[in-house]
Amino acid sequence: MDPADTQAVAAGRTPDPGPRPPAVPVRLERITKRFGSFVAVEDLTLTIPAGQLVTLLGPSGCGKTTTLRMVAGLEHPTAGRVWLGDEDVTPLPASNRSVTMVFQSYALFPHLSVFENIAYGLRIARLRDADIRAQVADVLTLVGLPQVEARYPAQLSGGQQQRVALARALVMKPKVLLFDEPLSNLDAKLRKRVRAEIRELQRRLGITSIYVTHDQAEALALSDVVVVMNQGRVEQVGSPTDLYRRPATRFVADFIGEANLLPGHHEGGMVRVGSYTFAYTQEHAPSGDVAVMARPETIELHTDGDGLSGRIRTAFFMGTVTEYLVETPVGEVIVAEPLMPRGPLRSGEDVRLTFRPSGLYLLPAAT
Amino acid sequence: MARTIALPLARSAPNATLIVWGGVTLLGSLALPWSRAGRDLFVFAPGSTGLELLRGAPLVVAVAVTAALAILIGTVPRPLWERGRLAVGLGVIGAVLTLGYLYGAGQPSGPAAVAALFGFLAILGGGMAWSGMLRTDAFLATSILWIAAFVLLFILYPLWTVLQASVLVKGALTLDAVRSTLKSPAFFLLNNPGTPRNETLVAAAAGITAAAAGGLFRLSRRPVTIGGVVRWTAGVGVLGWVLAVLYLAFGALRNSVLLAIVVGIAATALGFLFALLAERSRLRTKQLLGPFSILPIITPPFVLGLALIYMFGRSGFVTKEIVAFGPLGAAASGFLATGVFFGPLGVAVAQILAYAPIAYLVLQGVVQAMDAAMEEAAETLGASRWHVLRTVIWPLARPGIANAFLLVAIESLADFGNPIIVGGGVPFLATEVFFAIIGRFNPSEAAVYGVVLLIMTLSIFLVQRYWIGRRFYVTITGKPSAARPRPLPPALDYAASAIFLGWVLLILALYGSVFVGSVTRLWGFDYTLTLQHIRALSPTGWQVFWTSTKLSAYAAVPSMLLGFLIAYLVTRVDFPGRNGLEFGSMLSFAVPGTVMGIGYILAFNQGALLLTGTELILILAFVFRNMPVGIRSGVAAIHQIDRSLEEASTMLRANSPTTLRRIVMPLMVPALLSGLVFAFVRAMTAISQVIFLITPAHNLATTQILSYVEYGSLGRGAALASLLTVFMIAVVLALYAINRRLDTRAAARALMP
Repeated sequence: MDPADTQAVAAGRTPDPGPRPPAVPVRLERITKRFGSFVAVEDLTLTIPAGQLVTLLGPSGCGKTTTLRMVAGLEHPTAGRVWLGDEDVTPLPASNRSVTMVFQSYALFPHLSVFENIAYGLRIARLRDADIRAQVADVLTLVGLPQVEARYPAQLSGGQQQRVALARALVMKPKVLLFDEPLSNLDAKLRKRVRAEIRELQRRLGITSIYVTHDQAEALALSDVVVVMNQGRVEQVGSPTDLYRRPATRFVADFIGEANLLPGHHEGGMVRVGSYTFAYTQEHAPSGDVAVMARPETIELHTDGDGLSGRIRTAFFMGTVTEYLVETPVGEVIVAEPLMPRGPLRSGEDVRLTFRPSGLYLLPAAT
Repeated sequence: MARTIALPLARSAPNATLIVWGGVTLLGSLALPWSRAGRDLFVFAPGSTGLELLRGAPLVVAVAVTAALAILIGTVPRPLWERGRLAVGLGVIGAVLTLGYLYGAGQPSGPAAVAALFGFLAILGGGMAWSGMLRTDAFLATSILWIAAFVLLFILYPLWTVLQASVLVKGALTLDAVRSTLKSPAFFLLNNPGTPRNETLVAAAAGITAAAAGGLFRLSRRPVTIGGVVRWTAGVGVLGWVLAVLYLAFGALRNSVLLAIVVGIAATALGFLFALLAERSRLRTKQLLGPFSILPIITPPFVLGLALIYMFGRSGFVTKEIVAFGPLGAAASGFLATGVFFGPLGVAVAQILAYAPIAYLVLQGVVQAMDAAMEEAAETLGASRWHVLRTVIWPLARPGIANAFLLVAIESLADFGNPIIVGGGVPFLATEVFFAIIGRFNPSEAAVYGVVLLIMTLSIFLVQRYWIGRRFYVTITGKPSAARPRPLPPALDYAASAIFLGWVLLILALYGSVFVGSVTRLWGFDYTLTLQHIRALSPTGWQVFWTSTKLSAYAAVPSMLLGFLIAYLVTRVDFPGRNGLEFGSMLSFAVPGTVMGIGYILAFNQGALLLTGTELILILAFVFRNMPVGIRSGVAAIHQIDRSLEEASTMLRANSPTTLRRIVMPLMVPALLSGLVFAFVRAMTAISQVIFLITPAHNLATTQILSYVEYGSLGRGAALASLLTVFMIAVVLALYAINRRLDTRAAARALMP
């Protein structure tokens, strides 16, 4: 790892963000975007509260990047309006919105030095040279990268380039900051660290931010609010814990974390899965035929006693947990079990599965 | 620090674009002259400035008022979209008024007309951007309109006048010219009364024989189906008949088509062999492929024709010296002395030598893009190298081979220099266009020949672009595979290398003969070294060389800039009519130079557009002929630039001119430089499109070589051709020195027609 990357974490502690424009909410009002006959985004209405970090999460092609680019002004909606605070910016080109963006490829200008990259927008705004120098120095300190002003992007590591891109976006003091999968070009370890830094910086500066990613772990770790999108529509909006524990649809349950969705029947507080019946309380739980969502880490395995019967097909030792694929009468169930005193179970063993109520959630069968 | 950075939103602030362009239009239309006294560019008609015309020309008054209104709406605070709509209205009205005045006055237009027209188009472009009619900004919208105006005026309008001239004789619509030209024996004649045999019957007999043979062949193959037999009978029959007609008939059409087919096949075969050599040979000879593929492309191709006369003409070096090689040599010498190379054979050989590199460059790209892993896979499945060649490489290369053939066929049909230098008076379509105008003073006939040529080349161009273009299995830009290319079968490798070496020696001998010819007293009779031809270049030769250099340099800058702007617009901006603009601007590549040339003399010979006889028309001809070079280099370079760089610039509040100037252009400097040099080289070596446009005052090096050769001063022709060749090589080497990258193939590909 690069020394400057390590140093960045410490340097984040010298905050002098200076006064910024008050944070504004972003409101998307019945946005539709078509490319020819392909509908990228369909009738999307969404409010991003002022000062919060909202993640658009979904598989590729779900319309999340298109939505972000419409806020940026790089795409124009086929129908609907985009509001920044109480200003309708729909007809404005990207260059006239107070919005900046951190690109997936960083999009640093390869022929300009780090200083000139960051000063680019300030020069267009015709600031005085002295102001430009001061602001560039400040923002570089803010992102924890002093002393690289004279270098060129090609001379920086991936993590450093990413920070320069962030600095270039921040220095414009935008009303809204956009992130288009900014971490996908970093390796796994660095990604975790930069993720934490982005979160910390965003909280401190209180800039309304929209963050696009297809990595659910990143979305959960970063966001105040996560918007799960699928095929141009919003599946669910909620806090990370909400989405994890109370997914609104099968798609969300499946996309966020790992989930077993078992066919069951709910009546009068009793849930039956296969031959196993247990008591369950959940507000507004659907009754009749339901899909029982059980997270792998909330299922316990027993060698005897009560529970859903099954047989272990394969066991994968993964370090902190052992993951089992268990065959049951209602289908295959994934179980993640922490190291137990009895040691890992072997494939072929007969087991009983019990569910911890906190990890269960009932969905209507047909979602 | 600490202040929010102000947004240049300015919805109701004065609109600088409108005020500036309104001002340019107003001042230009009032202060500058509207017409010229004659052909001369800078001699203006007295009393033709807008101020002087105000009393007599109400349209000029209307133009000035419209421009003044544009300034007014730029200053009065209005919402942007409303200003936009008003500007669209004013732009359209102003442009129509300007065109109306120019058409009505019928005088050669002056600078006021240019200022007014482009000013109103700029106002219209700004209006379209602000009102949201075009989803782009004022700068790019104006660029689109200006370029569209250029393409209409300097590419489509001249072609339209050619079509028009073919059916308009003395102002009356008639098909007489078409009929008489197409019926003339110089155009096409099958049954020649001068020959004892009846060619129509012979061709029919050949067709029937071929049909029978085709049908019988299909019958011998299982399973026999009626459809199959019918298809084979009809197909082979028609093919046999067509070949027989091509073989037996007379006239320019037959000569050009037969030439194109023969040259296309031969050049493509050589090109494919060289491409295999370049990508799959184990021998070092392949390193010569780069330099030897670019040489015929950066020199005027007809230099090879000139060289053929030197080597194989009636008193050529080979013709005379080969006698020494015994009876066989004497026979060969006797054969050559009949002047066989001074006719279709000479043209064909010259064209094959000139165009094999084009086929090579196309096919080298195709073979290079083939994933060698497929060949490895075939070998692991037990295929021999011959088998791999036959079952993997050949099928994958087939669309590329068709593509190369069609490109060469277009070039051969359009070629003017070789047929006129070594054609020996045999009619070809491209030269008949010239002789109809220069020799027979019949513009209608020239136009008909031009239209025939245009239809043929355009249909080949369309087939090549839209049919073959989609059948490529491999993409040229593919990622190189890790697999190592498999070498050719050794027998093929050696044979192909031998052929290539022969080709290199021939090219060396031919260029060498031109160089030596320029310092030889009288080629074929007196080989004493002399500087007389080089001295004789003074003053005419040097003068035309300087004119060529000067005009080509003037033309190179706009060719490159327009080409790159078009490349940017068609790759990065989405606007209605984008495909049309791209097609229109690439069209001048597919149109034979002679056709464009007569288009220019017909279109710019009278009225408001009178430009013939000026240097400007030569420059314009170069610019719009070579703009596609810039477009092609530009598109290739822009594809290398990550689009998000431009988006990042936009999001940092740069407008499109700033993004172009500060981000796109700096990243394309090497490509811009190459585009500039290539446009220059192509202008220097051009002949067909300018042959009609030159005047004694503005003669060019290429046309001067031609007239030296026509009047028998071969020595001086060779001297000037050598000078041109050396200069072109020096220019291309200088480009490499600056760009610090020696990629002859990339250069040749960019220069390729």
